[in-house]
This record gives sequence, structure tokens and C-alpha cells, in this order.
Amino acid sequence: MTNIERQHIINSNKLSGEFYFNSILQEAYTCRLLNENDLENIQMQCINLLAYKVERYNMGESSSIRVETAQSIMKSNLYTIGLYLKSLLDPDQAVVELKTVDIFELYERGRKLINTKFKAVKHIYHMVKNNKINTPNHSYNSTLSEKGIGIFFKSYNLEYEAHEIPASIDYQLCNPVSDLIGIEYIEKYLENLYLENKFCMNFAPENIHHLLYGYDKGYKDLLINIFEQVLTASIGCSLANRNIRELNISLDDIQSLYNELIKYDNHTLMLKINSAIEDIFEELNIKNPTLQRYIEKSLPKVVSNIENALKLNTLGKVFITSVNPNLQPKIHFDSGVKMEDEEYRKLIEELLICRYSSDKLKLIKEKVKSFDDLEDVILDAQLEEDELVSLFNTFGDVEIAAMIKRYPFASDIQAVELSEAEQKVRLLLENYIKQLPTDRQNQILQIAEHLIED
Amino acid sequence: MNVFSSLIQKQAVDEIEKCNEYTSKFGLTLSRQDAIRLVETRNSSLKSCGRIEFGGGVIDKLIKEFCDSPYISKHNYVETLNELIEIFYFYKNETLDLISDDELIKYMKNSFDGKCQGSLELLAERELDKMARNLRYGYVPDYSEDEVYKEEDEDDEY
Repeated sequence: MTNIERQHIINSNKLSGEFYFNSILQEAYTCRLLNENDLENIQMQCINLLAYKVERYNMGESSSIRVETAQSIMKSNLYTIGLYLKSLLDPDQAVVELKTVDIFELYERGRKLINTKFKAVKHIYHMVKNNKINTPNHSYNSTLSEKGIGIFFKSYNLEYEAHEIPASIDYQLCNPVSDLIGIEYIEKYLENLYLENKFCMNFAPENIHHLLYGYDKGYKDLLINIFEQVLTASIGCSLANRNIRELNISLDDIQSLYNELIKYDNHTLMLKINSAIEDIFEELNIKNPTLQRYIEKSLPKVVSNIENALKLNTLGKVFITSVNPNLQPKIHFDSGVKMEDEEYRKLIEELLICRYSSDKLKLIKEKVKSFDDLEDVILDAQLEEDELVSLFNTFGDVEIAAMIKRYPFASDIQAVELSEAEQKVRLLLENYIKQLPTDRQNQILQIAEHLIED
Repeated sequence: MNVFSSLIQKQAVDEIEKCNEYTSKFGLTLSRQDAIRLVETRNSSLKSCGRIEFGGGVIDKLIKEFCDSPYISKHNYVETLNELIEIFYFYKNETLDLISDDELIKYMKNSFDGKCQGSLELLAERELDKMARNLRYGYVPDYSEDEVYKEEDEDDEY
């Protein structure tokens, strides 16, 4: 027997989630459920509600108000009413309520709903914080912190700004929340994030870390979605018959996957990936239908990434090979013991009165035995540019690599915390390295990459 | 909406006309035409200041507060009221809504009758400007730097 669905006059797909109230009025008018008199009556009531709210906002002390403030209050009112109407069975029912129930009453019902939602959302927030992924990704952690979404629970003004989202949200979801505002947005965002976390909880945090490290070494500063990477990797593992929980797939696996998948058309590819998803559900024992639906909803994005990668022969960019940073070669660098302050002051005084560059260099070479001291001298001794260059000339590759570590010039973001004097050294160092032979440059950069200071 | 707004206009004009009962003892009355003009001034002021108003009230309050001023007679009554309405809304914005309607009107009246001696120009350009600046900087409305200096001078004398 097929399901019999009630026919609705208003097509709910045509309604906006963001401006529900406005769109339902529009649709109801188009479908002749409301006539012009009804509309005018509703508008009048809305204005009366606005007048009432404005009076409360001004606390009876002022009869006029700035237009922008009034607009915001009006939006908040309509959002609150819309929230209640949305909670009804169907849009037709909502129109009946609009015709028969006073706008003030509808607003009050909406307010009650927002109050309940606010408590519920707070609960979801705690749930999300409890199943948080252990990751160094900054945008993820800061979004979930008290200074991210946490702000919302302190600043949300359900009386006059119910439609606003006063929170700092940087982390991108795999299925972004669109067409919602106010408390509904936060609710949906947290729900989605909870599901994403729930899926990622099936994998060991270090496996996720190695996967993302393989994606990009600096992933902690990137605005990436962790769930999407983990899901893609698990699909890759399932397709390559690897252990899904390990999230590890070798370069050879990727090559053989490419050879296999390139033969399929889009439909077969989709079938193949669907069966991989079934495997994943079974292997990870995912039975929660909401989570299953969420994962299925995320699939089109993943599949289109795979399709594009197959076309461009860049499957290695979609299925990532995990990298364990602990297994990479490392060069330990010990900067040595710093000299006594007294001695250092004497050295700097001497350097400042020293007239010849060659003498200064000699002095530095003779007295400075620690790399930290050398760095201080560079900043304190007011050396000329050519003196600094001659000083760099005396350095070995490891010392220059250590300098790069302290004055990184790959991107400006790395150097935001440097002082003006340090910025100058950084620029000089960059120019110095650029004029070195390419072989040596590469060697130095490679050393810098593996360098770890003790 | 037009029906709605014209209805409100009519209501506002009626309310202003009602004030005549109170102001007639000071020899001041407004014709229906004058009342309409005042409402129009209010609308244009609100528009130019980017504000909206629900219910009337401000014009009535201004009329009732200013009608006993020694500097207002039947010859300049309507003109003065028009200007006062413009000044009022302008300074609602300038004071960042930190002052209530009643307080602002009272301050305007005291300055108009006192320091400004009936000069609307001094009221708008000097007194209210100073008051708005004080409020924005977190001082009391009638804070004056001159007085602070004066007090310091007096202290020096002793």
C-alpha cells in the first residue's frame, strides 16, 4: 500500500526558512487563502505589536526610535511568529491560525517556543562539547569554546533580536546550514556538528591526526571540515579493502583504485560508493538513522570530489595517505647555554662603540657561544645591513635553518607576532636566502623542516 | 497602509487642536491649518533624522511645556513650535537616545527661557550642542568646563 499524503494548498517547498512569516503571507495571498482585507488586518496588528515592543524597548521614556532599531525589532517579532507557525502541522494550518488568532497571541506562543528551544540548544551545546574530537585544529576548537558558540548563550537577545546569531562561528560544516537564522541556525548547526563528531568518534584521535597531517602539515590553522576528510578516507579504505578504522591508504592503493574507478560511469561509481558506505555502517556499527541520513546527505559532495579527481588524475588529493609526524626524520638543535647578563651587557656596549665591521664580527665570533645570545645580539647591537649579511655568511646551514624557524617568511601570517626590529631581520634573512644557490637553498629549507629545538 | 497613516495623521491633528483649551489662557491658539503644518513638520523631521514614532505625544508635550514661556507670543507661536519640533528630533539622535523625551523637553525649555533668552539659534547651536556632547562623553547634561575653571580660580584666591 502506498502512503497517502494529505494534499496541501500551499507548497511548503516554496516557503523560505529564513523569512517564514513573510513568505507564508505571500503564498497564502497567491493561493487565495488570504484576501487583501486579511493582509491589511495582519499588517495593522504587526504594527501594533511593533509599537508595543518599541514602547517597552524605550521603557516609555521616548516615543520615537531610530529606523534601524525599529526594523530590527520588527524582524525579531516576525521571526518569532514565524517560528511558531513553522512548528504547526502544515502551512495551511498556519494560515488558519493567522486568520483566527491575534498576532500578539501568536507572538507570545513563538516566544514560549524560543524559550524552550534556547534551553534545548544549550543542552545540545553541552552534548557537542562532550563528544568533541581531540584535534589541534584551531577553528574547530575555538568555535566550540566559550568564546565561540558559548557567546551565544550570553548575548542572545530573544526579546528584541531573536533573529540574530551573536556567536563567533568559523568552523565549516560538511553540510552548511542555510536558510535559517537566529536560534534555529544555532540549533541546526550544533545538531549537524554533533552528528559529525559522533561519526568521527569511531576513529582514534591519532588516526585522524595522521590523516589530517597527511592532508596538510599546517592543518591546525586551516578552515577544513574534519568529518568530510574522515568520511572520504573511510570510503577510500573501504574501496581499497583496508581497515576502515585505521584511515590509512597507501599510494599503491590509490593508484590501483584509480585504475579501477576510472572504468566506471557516474552511476556505477555511485553504486560502488553506496556499497562502501554500507560496509562502513556495518564495520563501525552505525545504526542511528539520523547519523546514517546525515552521512548519506554528505555523499554527493564527496562523490563529486572523487569524480573530478578521476577526471584530472588527482585521486591522491581526495584519498589522503596518512602521515605520522613522529616517524619523520628530525634534527635536534640545541642552542647552548646563554651567557651571564653582566657579560652580555659588556659585549653589547663594546659592540656599540666598535668602529669597524670586521672587529664587530670578530668580537661576536669570539664571545658568543650560544644561538640564543647570537639572536639577541642581532637585535640589540644595531648592526648595519651589510654587517648582518657578513654575519650570515659565517653561519652553517643548520644555523641558517634555525634562523628561518625563528623568522619564518613563508607567509606573513606566521610573522604577525614579530616586532618591528624582528620583521627587519626577517626581511633581510629572506633576501639573503634568495640569493643563495638553489641547491643550498633547498638543503637549508629541508633542514628547517625537520629541525626541532630542544 | 496609506489609509492607516492618514488615520494616524488625523488623530494627531485632533490631539494638537485639543491643546488649545489649555493654551488659550496664555493667549495662544492654533488653527487646524497650523496643527496640520506641525504634524507635517514632525513627519519631515522624523524622516530626515531617520526615526519613526508610534503614537503622538511629543508635539503636545512641547506645546504644554513652552506655552507659558515669556518669549512666546501669538506672533511667533507657530514658527517657534515648528522649529522646536525640528530641534527636538535632531537632538534625540545627537544624544544617542540617552535622554528621555520629557527630560529633553524640560532642558530645552529651561535653556530657552534662561541662557538663550528666547533665541532658538542659541538653543540649537550652543546649549543643546553642549548638552549632547556632555551626554556622549558621559558627563551630566549641564556639565560645563568653564565652571570647573571658575571654581579652580576661586580656590586659588584663598
